[in-house]
Amino acid sequence: MMLLRNLKFALNSAWQSFWRNLAVSLAAVVSITLILILAGINLLVGHAFSQVLDGFRVKVSEISINVSDDTPLSTIYDFQQQLAADPRVTSVTFITKDEALANFKQDPNNYVLAQQIDGNPLDAKLDVRVANLNDVAAIDSLARQWPGVDPTDPTNYQGDFVNRMLSLSQWLGYAGVGLLAVLVVVSIVIVMNTIRTAVYHRRKEIEVMKLVGATEWFVRGPFVIEGVMTGLIAASIALALLVVAYEPAVDRFRSDIAFLPLSYDPSFISSLARDLLLGGALLGALGSYIGVRRYVRV
Amino acid sequence: MVLTPDFDSRPVISFQHVWKTYPTGTQALRDVNLVVPEGDFLFLVGPSGAGKSTLVRLLIREEKPTKGKIFVDGVELGRMKRRQLPHYRRKVGLVFQDFKLLPNLTVYENVAFALRVLGESDRLIRTRVAEAIDTVSLSGKEQTYPSHLSGGEQQRVAIARSLVHAPRFIIADEPTGNLDPATAWEIMQLFLRINARGATVVMATHNREIVDLLRRRVVAIDGGQIARDDRSGRYHDDVVTKSQVRAQ
Repeated sequence: MMLLRNLKFALNSAWQSFWRNLAVSLAAVVSITLILILAGINLLVGHAFSQVLDGFRVKVSEISINVSDDTPLSTIYDFQQQLAADPRVTSVTFITKDEALANFKQDPNNYVLAQQIDGNPLDAKLDVRVANLNDVAAIDSLARQWPGVDPTDPTNYQGDFVNRMLSLSQWLGYAGVGLLAVLVVVSIVIVMNTIRTAVYHRRKEIEVMKLVGATEWFVRGPFVIEGVMTGLIAASIALALLVVAYEPAVDRFRSDIAFLPLSYDPSFISSLARDLLLGGALLGALGSYIGVRRYVRV
Repeated sequence: MVLTPDFDSRPVISFQHVWKTYPTGTQALRDVNLVVPEGDFLFLVGPSGAGKSTLVRLLIREEKPTKGKIFVDGVELGRMKRRQLPHYRRKVGLVFQDFKLLPNLTVYENVAFALRVLGESDRLIRTRVAEAIDTVSLSGKEQTYPSHLSGGEQQRVAIARSLVHAPRFIIADEPTGNLDPATAWEIMQLFLRINARGATVVMATHNREIVDLLRRRVVAIDGGQIARDDRSGRYHDDVVTKSQVRAQ
């Protein structure tokens, strides 16, 4: 009952003080909004890259093992069974020489070349899908030791490319996290100082509250709630701007950098909204908490 | 020598060999011993910088003693934990020279504030605040803001706030310092009424006329020490009485 009354009091005074000190409140809203926009862009770019990387991952986790023409079918079948039983492998598909040629001819890019082909120069192959990108190299070396492999062109595995993709995705992840961390620190400092200015104007009020026996949380409560309110308002503004700009920005970049398969992902907006609102509320609360600290302590 | 005045009631406040040295090196209080029994009305007098304000600050636990012990209502202030402090302050009524009202709250809200921090119900707040405002004769001004009140009226609001939660004792630091003599006298009447109802009052003051007129207990502080403790004293030590007790 008492807790409810205190909460009511805190909500009331937070609301009143937000409007009473509108200039300071707006300054806080603007700074948090800008920070959250940066954080949101970071999240969106990170998401776009991870989508692109996922696409690459699917491609490079497939490895084709070329089978030399004189290999008996039973040997191929045995090896296919062996691969299928390997826990690292998701699936193995055998493609005969004829199927390989048919696939080749189907691709419109190969139209001119297909016209000139005489007979079937293509190998039969085993298409292996590997569960974890890190295991592709091991499967590749396994295939190269297999006697049935075409010694002139054993597999289509490009080790360097895969490794580079792996380290690139790792570094992009680190960079994103690092950037977010910097943003969080900068924003807490900004929010803290903004709110400390607001608190400074009300230090007399806090002094009186303390003198009549208000607990630290009773004094702090309204400020923290005001911080959360400020954070939520800022997050809503940032979110609205980002949502409006998301699709046009993707379209723009897609035409500029055609080789990156960027895509607009509306399902990501709900997770972005959650992150920004949560982040805004936390930022506001933390900034207020720290900002008031100095004045609340006797 | 520890002073133990021969009052019947138990002490509400007792200072035992209290020293206070500020970080700057200023010795504000030196070996102060003081006992205030329940229901007492005590004037703290002395020149500026003598240590009156330090004594008040120690009493409301804005400062801790460097040496010695202060007991209020059986609790040793120096050992009180920080989170217990709000609960201690709620037992005390505080009145200051500069009133310390909240400018953006009305008279009613200012007085109610002391009960809001206790988490009291709206209904209880309404009756208690009405009583307190009536006690200080400010009925009808509930919805006025402090900036629209005279100094005397503002101090009345502060007094109403200090007694709305029925504290056992009231500490007043120069409550009449900003008021003209007539208004100061009215405010003093108010304190006497509160004291007559049973609250212990400790008042630091420079107001010589009032101290001399009321002939209550006077504790004179000079150079950080208690220079005089008279049961019914005057502002200045110009009449030597038998009841005069020298501390030191």
